[in-house]
Amino acid sequence: MTRRLIRWLLPATALPVLALLAYGFRVNHRDIPSPLVNRPAARFTLTSYTGEPMSLDVQRGHVVVVNFWASWCYPACYEEAPVLERNWRAYRDRGVVVFGVDIQDKPEAGRKFIADFGLTFPNALDPTGRVSVDYGVYGVPETFFIDAEGRVRAKHVGGVTDAVFRREVERLLAERR
Amino acid sequence: MIPELGHGAVLVGAVVALYGAAAAAAGGRSGRTALLASAQYAALAVFVLVSAVLLLLVYAFLTCDFSVRYVAMNTNLATPYYYRITAVWGALEGSLVLWAWLLALYTLIVVLRHRTSARELYPWALTVMLSVLSFFLLVMTVAAPVFARLSAVPADGRGLNPLLEDSGMITHPVALYLGFTGFTVPFAFAIAALATGRVGDRWIILTRRWTIVAWYFLSLGLLIGGWWSYHVLGWGGYWAWDPVENAAFMPWLTGTAFLHSVMIQERRRMLKLWNIGLVILTFSLTLFGTFLTRSGVIASVHAFSQGAIGVFFLAFLAVVVLVSLTLLAWRWDALAAEGELDSVISRESAFLLNNVLLVAATFTVFFGTVFPLLSEAVRGAKISVGAPFFNQVNVPVFLALIFLMGVGPLIAWRRASGDNLRRNFFWPVVVGMLSATLFFALGVRSALTVLSLALTVFVAATISVEYVRATRARVRTGSQLLSAMGGLLVRHNRRYGGFVIHLGILVIAVGITGSQAWSLQREATLTRGEAVELAGYRFQFEGLAAREAGTHFLVESTFKVTNGRAAVDELRPAKKFYRQEQSPIAHVDYRLGFVDDLYLVLGDFARDGSEATVKVQVNRMVSWIWFGGLILTLGTALAVLPERKQTP
Amino acid sequence: MNRGPIRPKIVTGIAAVALALAYMIYAGVTQSAVYFVTPAELTAAPRPGKAYRLGGMVEKGSVRWVASTLDLSFRLSDGQTTVPVRHTGTPPDLFGEGRGAVVEGRWTTEGYFRAARILAKHSEEYKAPHDDPEPAYRELMKSLRSNPT
Repeated sequence: MTRRLIRWLLPATALPVLALLAYGFRVNHRDIPSPLVNRPAARFTLTSYTGEPMSLDVQRGHVVVVNFWASWCYPACYEEAPVLERNWRAYRDRGVVVFGVDIQDKPEAGRKFIADFGLTFPNALDPTGRVSVDYGVYGVPETFFIDAEGRVRAKHVGGVTDAVFRREVERLLAERR
Repeated sequence: MIPELGHGAVLVGAVVALYGAAAAAAGGRSGRTALLASAQYAALAVFVLVSAVLLLLVYAFLTCDFSVRYVAMNTNLATPYYYRITAVWGALEGSLVLWAWLLALYTLIVVLRHRTSARELYPWALTVMLSVLSFFLLVMTVAAPVFARLSAVPADGRGLNPLLEDSGMITHPVALYLGFTGFTVPFAFAIAALATGRVGDRWIILTRRWTIVAWYFLSLGLLIGGWWSYHVLGWGGYWAWDPVENAAFMPWLTGTAFLHSVMIQERRRMLKLWNIGLVILTFSLTLFGTFLTRSGVIASVHAFSQGAIGVFFLAFLAVVVLVSLTLLAWRWDALAAEGELDSVISRESAFLLNNVLLVAATFTVFFGTVFPLLSEAVRGAKISVGAPFFNQVNVPVFLALIFLMGVGPLIAWRRASGDNLRRNFFWPVVVGMLSATLFFALGVRSALTVLSLALTVFVAATISVEYVRATRARVRTGSQLLSAMGGLLVRHNRRYGGFVIHLGILVIAVGITGSQAWSLQREATLTRGEAVELAGYRFQFEGLAAREAGTHFLVESTFKVTNGRAAVDELRPAKKFYRQEQSPIAHVDYRLGFVDDLYLVLGDFARDGSEATVKVQVNRMVSWIWFGGLILTLGTALAVLPERKQTP
Repeated sequence: MNRGPIRPKIVTGIAAVALALAYMIYAGVTQSAVYFVTPAELTAAPRPGKAYRLGGMVEKGSVRWVASTLDLSFRLSDGQTTVPVRHTGTPPDLFGEGRGAVVEGRWTTEGYFRAARILAKHSEEYKAPHDDPEPAYRELMKSLRSNPT
């Protein structure tokens, strides 16, 4: 009798191994945390592509999303540009501010990017790279979610999705009350 | 237009392959040749379609069609055309195209070669091959579409990862994939054997050459990978036990076991269950390897990006493993051995031990690779095991395998008599021991090194004993010496091809032993005119120079190398600054030698060129590894020659 | 398989190999196991001599590199705690201030982490800022050209 059952051990032993591999999907690799979280966001004033000043100082009381991008960063920046525009339009009535900082880019390329995606939120070139250094930007795209008190509350590395944007902004908007 | 065509071709190919698999199965079941014929046409159609996909992709690369996301990410306007072609398989989506194309090619060859010679097994083998092919095409359609478009077309592409702009990177994936996909064929025929119940020798005899060729390409891929790592990556090593490397090594280990154990089944009708199990394991490991590199489950220094694709591969792996093992359990009784092991001192026993050791090594590598997952699941702590673990456990196993390499081919079948043992092994053992004392006398103090080298000598001696004795026998019966020597090789090409392959492995083993035992390295910061010395060589820093070099900006240092009084060479390790990369890429300069490889890596340097930090390595015996690979090639070529009439 | 006097020998042989393997694996794992920790976790309970893999952000302004002695020192941070790290040898090309790094080594009794290896991962999706080829490299080229070799 046992002779007949032993043979089924073979497929049976495969199951725990497969389960272990499936478990691997649930494991989150440790992200490198940002030392900026919960610290005051660095202030900056830049001149946007449309000529107006773009300044973080005057945004006290508003939830601010600062997105660092570049025209040479694909595919991530190309994928998140429509996301940012979409969400900017959805949340602007609730006082959310979206700033785009174009780093280490040529002005013409930056303008082309903004025109191609029809971006209506303020975007400025960071000519000296000072702002990206202040924010510890390692790569693009990176997005910082700043609360109404001016503290960095979350940093998202890589392209922003609708889900991430909404989650972070809703959280900060809820706190404001 | 082109991308849409390509995308459509992938989709149609997936559907046609699925249809073909179903038709072949139905044809095999019912015996209706019309169904089978239509499945064959499906296979041909899939090959044409996948070839079209590949060509369209190459075209997109050559014309720099940046509207295709994959092209934009992997090439730019400055990339030379030959690297544009190889960039086709440089990243995830493209690598799947290459895999699918090779699989489609192999399927077509199976159709052409076996449709008349393997009447019963063939339909089911075709079913399996087309099923695997349809999976890959489905994944390409759904999870990793290679022709996905960008919504805004960039002016210039990102470019190929500069580390991939290398001749090794052109060939390494192709060789590896030829090996991986090659093992699909023996697997397909094994499943066919299980499905039809014809679990005798037929499926093994049919797939013999496939197995050797697949094994060879896998070996070649691993060696080229080691060569690429050695001369590009700048750490002076060729193997790091990285999960991705291990993923390719495991099927090689079980493939080697399979290559040997089938000989036992052919001769003694034993190990039938074991053989089918082994080939299922080998094929599953090739899928596991693909899964590992593309799912992000295990953190590795050179993994592809993550995505839904990992889930697809795991699901497919699960289906393959569970279905094959269930079939195996179903046919358990039919797989009973017809012969049995007579004595522990016999060729069967040696081959069995060879298999056990290879599977043990495979288990070790697997265990070490998934250990981080295991430890996190069990104890919540993420623990990894590094290279020392793999080396510590595997080295004794590999040494034992080398010993068996000498014993196995010569020891008698069934039961080796004392006479047989003496005749075959007396001199090799003596020579081996003498060589051990010689190495010790020459100054080698590490017991492990002495043992490894002495075993190599022992095995080489057994091969010589065999060759000399066989040649002498022929000469005695009237042949001329040279024609006797050559005739042996041709007449018994399987056996002697195997010997040459073993010789190649021995040479590789010596290379690995020497490089691990005797390589040296030093790091130093030098001002202009200063020198650093290592192993009798003197490396003098001459200065730095900078220039534009097309795709990158190059900072090159010059070192004059002397050995005593004699000038040896001028080496120029450099740093390349690429527009699209966040950090410079080190360009190693090296001088290969029979024994000594001189190897320089430029580290930090002063902006005014007055000072440079350099890492100097004198790597020993590494060239023997590549040379061994060459011998491996010759041996394989000999082994797969079409067979003349065999004398027993 | 048919029973015969050979069977026990084979079974014993395979069992012996399996046992030897299990022992070697056990010894290998315990000797070369490397624990992943963050700076906070490490400073909470550091054990001198134990092998760790430490990940964090290289603190700005903390990197000191002495080319003549090949001494590299810096601080790794996770936002809460920082750990002083020392390493002998040039750092890999991907290493830099304000960037993530993973080091492998041991905690010393002198209060710092001695890194035997600095690991860097090259990410495919994620793009890092590059130095604009125009200004920075022209400067580099100029200064190198002015010092004839």
